[in-house]
Amino acid sequence: MNREIHERAERLILQQQVEGLSPADRGWLDQHLESCPRCAGVAAATGQALQSLRAVSVPLPPALAARAQLRVYLRARQMRESGPAGWAPWLWCGLSWALGLASAPYVWAGFRWLGENAGLPGPVWKMGVALWWVMPALLTVAVLVIERRGREESGERYDDVR
Amino acid sequence: MAATTLFFSAPMAEDRKVLARGLRRRDPELLDGLIEQYQYRLFRYLLYLTASPETAEDLFQETWIRVLDRGHQYDGRARFETWLFAIARHLVVDLHRRKTPQSLEALTEEDRGEPPELAATDPSPLELFAQHQSEESVRLSLERLPAVYREVLLLRFQEELALEEIGGVLDAPLSTVKSRLYRGLQALRELLERRGM
Repeated sequence: MNREIHERAERLILQQQVEGLSPADRGWLDQHLESCPRCAGVAAATGQALQSLRAVSVPLPPALAARAQLRVYLRARQMRESGPAGWAPWLWCGLSWALGLASAPYVWAGFRWLGENAGLPGPVWKMGVALWWVMPALLTVAVLVIERRGREESGERYDDVR
Repeated sequence: MAATTLFFSAPMAEDRKVLARGLRRRDPELLDGLIEQYQYRLFRYLLYLTASPETAEDLFQETWIRVLDRGHQYDGRARFETWLFAIARHLVVDLHRRKTPQSLEALTEEDRGEPPELAATDPSPLELFAQHQSEESVRLSLERLPAVYREVLLLRFQEELALEEIGGVLDAPLSTVKSRLYRGLQALRELLERRGM
């Protein structure tokens, strides 16, 4: 028998285990294995290798599932607690923008009236209007920063639970 | 509770939808049950990939945290274990990228810790000895295989996943899956033959 035949047989032996064979290939392989002790040995060794692989067992660390369940429980609780609070600053921010836009003409008129009555130069009362607009945004940023720090600290605590 | 019972009694396609809904709700009972049910298979998969029990255990926990965080992404069309293994694999790849700027391809024996100890179950001393020798040979042979081959051999011949499902876990084309399986199986056979098995 030439080398190509053995190579085909070895390829089919692997294919049989990995993805199966067509009836024609299976017939050819069975016939070849009956007449070729070398390839029959390869087929037997492949079957043995798979049998050995399937027999390998792995010991589980103690309380593996319980520790994972605890971490998942803590994480779920953390998510529940931080979920609504995470939306609150954005809600307040949106309300602030809406009120700011609605009241802008009145704020401008009010500051101008105050500035003119107090005899202030134009840039001063205009600066007052600018600060009036910037303050809500600054407060929102402060709230977000404080909240993020709180989350990071609690995240570190959860990482310690192992 | 009803969803949990249904899923664990008959994991069919419809039940996968129920499972998906439970994951979206972050149902604590469902998650506890899944952790119990898949602990062996997930830990074994992670151990095959990392070859380190400590790393495998850390990633085991991280995997379940991801399942909780991203449960809404499971749509129930694929089997749950396929999705679970894909999450676990991403975590392993991320870990190795952080440790070394390489992919899983480079996860070979020089980067491994202690190999896992294998459990013996046969009560007969003679058989126990023979089995120990046999499992030791398989363990040592597996250690010498690159992780990418160990991984596909496990998914195909221990997890009994279909080739397409393995492709889904690996995010790789079918041709890559087949090629790794052929090479891995051939390499394992040759290694075991050299050990007289």
